[in-house]
Amino acid sequence: MNFSLDYTEEQEQFAKEVRAWLDENIPEDLIPVRDTRKMSIEQWEKRREFTRRLGKKGWLYPRYPTEYGGGGLDMDFHFVILEELGKKGMALPPLYDMGILCAPAVLACGTEEQKKRILPRIFKGEALTWQLFTEPEAGTDAANQQTNALRSVREKDHFIINGQKIFTGSFPSKPEQLYVLTRSDLDAPRHQNLTSFVIPADLPGITVQPLDLFILTTFPAATGPTGANMEGVKHTVFFDDVKVPESCMIGKEGEGWKVTIATLDVEHSGGFGGATGNFVVEEFLSQCRNNPNILMRLRENPQLLDSVVEIYIGEQIERLWTLRNAGGMGGPYAGPQLALFEKMFGKRLAPLMAKVLGPYTFADDEQWGMGNGIFEVGQRCAVALAPGGTPEALKIGISRALAVGR
Amino acid sequence: MYLDLELTESEKMLKRTALDFMRREVPNEIIKTLLETDTGYTEELWRNIVEMGWPGIIVPEQYSGEEYTLTSAGVLLEALGSGPLPGPYFSSAILGSLIVMEAGAEEQKQEILPAVAEGEKILTLALTEPEYSWEPDAVQTNAANENGDFILNGLKLFTLEAEAATHFIVVARTQNNTDPARGISLFLVDSQCDGLTVRRVPGFLSGRSFEVKLNNVKVPGSALLGEKDVGWDNLQRAINKAIPILCAYKVGGAQAVLEMALKYSRSRVQFGRPIGRFQLVQDMIIEMVNHVDAARWTTYEALWKLDTQRPSEESVHLAKAVTSTAYWEVCTLAHQVFSGVSYSEEHAVSFHTRTSRHLYNFLGDPSYHRQKLGQLLVPL
Repeated sequence: MNFSLDYTEEQEQFAKEVRAWLDENIPEDLIPVRDTRKMSIEQWEKRREFTRRLGKKGWLYPRYPTEYGGGGLDMDFHFVILEELGKKGMALPPLYDMGILCAPAVLACGTEEQKKRILPRIFKGEALTWQLFTEPEAGTDAANQQTNALRSVREKDHFIINGQKIFTGSFPSKPEQLYVLTRSDLDAPRHQNLTSFVIPADLPGITVQPLDLFILTTFPAATGPTGANMEGVKHTVFFDDVKVPESCMIGKEGEGWKVTIATLDVEHSGGFGGATGNFVVEEFLSQCRNNPNILMRLRENPQLLDSVVEIYIGEQIERLWTLRNAGGMGGPYAGPQLALFEKMFGKRLAPLMAKVLGPYTFADDEQWGMGNGIFEVGQRCAVALAPGGTPEALKIGISRALAVGR
Repeated sequence: MYLDLELTESEKMLKRTALDFMRREVPNEIIKTLLETDTGYTEELWRNIVEMGWPGIIVPEQYSGEEYTLTSAGVLLEALGSGPLPGPYFSSAILGSLIVMEAGAEEQKQEILPAVAEGEKILTLALTEPEYSWEPDAVQTNAANENGDFILNGLKLFTLEAEAATHFIVVARTQNNTDPARGISLFLVDSQCDGLTVRRVPGFLSGRSFEVKLNNVKVPGSALLGEKDVGWDNLQRAINKAIPILCAYKVGGAQAVLEMALKYSRSRVQFGRPIGRFQLVQDMIIEMVNHVDAARWTTYEALWKLDTQRPSEESVHLAKAVTSTAYWEVCTLAHQVFSGVSYSEEHAVSFHTRTSRHLYNFLGDPSYHRQKLGQLLVPL
């Protein structure tokens, strides 16, 4: 066995190239993705520009085939890109982009024409994509779609979409493209009545509205510790008689569930982000070691050290399972298991950190607050369990993979 | 990328061989019988283990051993833990060998290690005392120097495998020092010595755990392993290497229990369906899987760090804290999944429950290792 993530000679060579390129191409004054407090529209624009540059270079989607605009690299090099971006305070992708979920579906189920049309724009960072699965009545029960996509009576090669999607996107991004799951047959049985589309976001009849959520500031993504997708505010999207050509349909009519499964497998698999540790935990440990206020708390009550250990153990398990999955040694349940662990660990983090750090945990303040993702943890523990599938949905997935569930 | 978490070909073969050995030589009926005995093994079973070369698995070739890596030893112990194989195998082949390798003078290694590798000598560590602790200040057993011999007096408590052992590695104080870790020495003591008595501590879950009384036990100066007064550091180095191998044994046990529970939840029908269809049962299964996987990967990373001479202190504490808890919890959850049927003494889950309990404190329980880990993470 070898648990080492040190660079091989070949990786080191590539890392030099990546570092030099990043020095050239990271826009000036770009703040680290972890520094969510300083997020602004100007900063988002800079990230957008940086995303395009990464895309052009082929490093935004490093492992996808070059014929569709991907990087064509193997995992060794993908890992180097992640690492070097991380050292610069950046993540992959550097902003909210659900192309990471749309691309695998298009690649698996799309026609050649669709792959050539849709994928390069995703891979080059030209089309930011939002995933539109969730609806008011289709949460964990994602197959219970009420957004209808019905064949136009006048133009048979078009669909008319009507309905509402919810909890999608992020602020301040605007999507260029929407990956939508719909109900295309009002009579067919469950799972056989769905159809998937990838459509331009500016079609007439589409309205995007921000949601008035209690997470008013930004917060780190629930789906892993990479720091990607950190912008927080979610949206609802309305479809009023939106006319969509058949060429936007991914997979066959009525086979939307199959396409969705291709996405959910990726979404529920956890990422590679925790391979070198969890940055929030690292920041927490650093506060424990170096912040005199926290050291004082620990010296007064050394029992608090056990909560420090509890957090550290969680981080290590997350790291080791990430390595296991990346190393191809996880069983069929390993993806949702890691995703579930990340969520449940995130939930436990807030009370544990609050115990050790005290009220500093929750302060969003230059002087008294704690940066690098700590103050967001308080919010995260309450609201980050649902995105990307509830823990309960993940448990069902694990049970099925273990052949005890249905 | 260097990352490669697969077993090597020879480790895969070792695993297959050992699992096969367990199925063939140590079926459940044998385990049940052995758990009741004071030694935990039969002459025949021990002979078979010796034939496999396993008592010398980590002993260097120059001392007639197999000189496998610690990771490979972990692979073997994981397979043996699936039974679990009772008896003094770990005490002697792993912990005993390691202590002699770390502490022994060259001629002692030459004399002792081949005998351990051949299964002729069976070692066990006698460290803990009535003030039960894995810290040096709890060592009160005294070894007084008398004309080149040593006279040992004291009481060792919860010593494992004392009835099977031919020799004890007795940890004793040879000098009073302000630093409790100084002035401790290790002695190889023949179990047949005058003044040494052994009594098994009764208790369904206590395993083969013994009280060992040393009443004016006289040993020659050559029984002193290595240098006088510096035994503690050598002992710690050996224990640190032994811990993740013991963890691997627990991983094997926990994995076996999980597999039993999975199988049962697929086949046991209540309310007209397999109980695995019930989400409350699934929840327990998932908790078991999580425990097993946390234990497995913390254990193997610690072994890898030790084998590659990387700093491993944190990883060893982590593995022991996680794995002891995991084995205990997985067994408890399995009883919940199986309910009544697993309460039988003949049920394999009960073997693991007993083992997970009697090994829980051995080489430091989770709270001890968590405390150590905390001190390393944030020095106060």
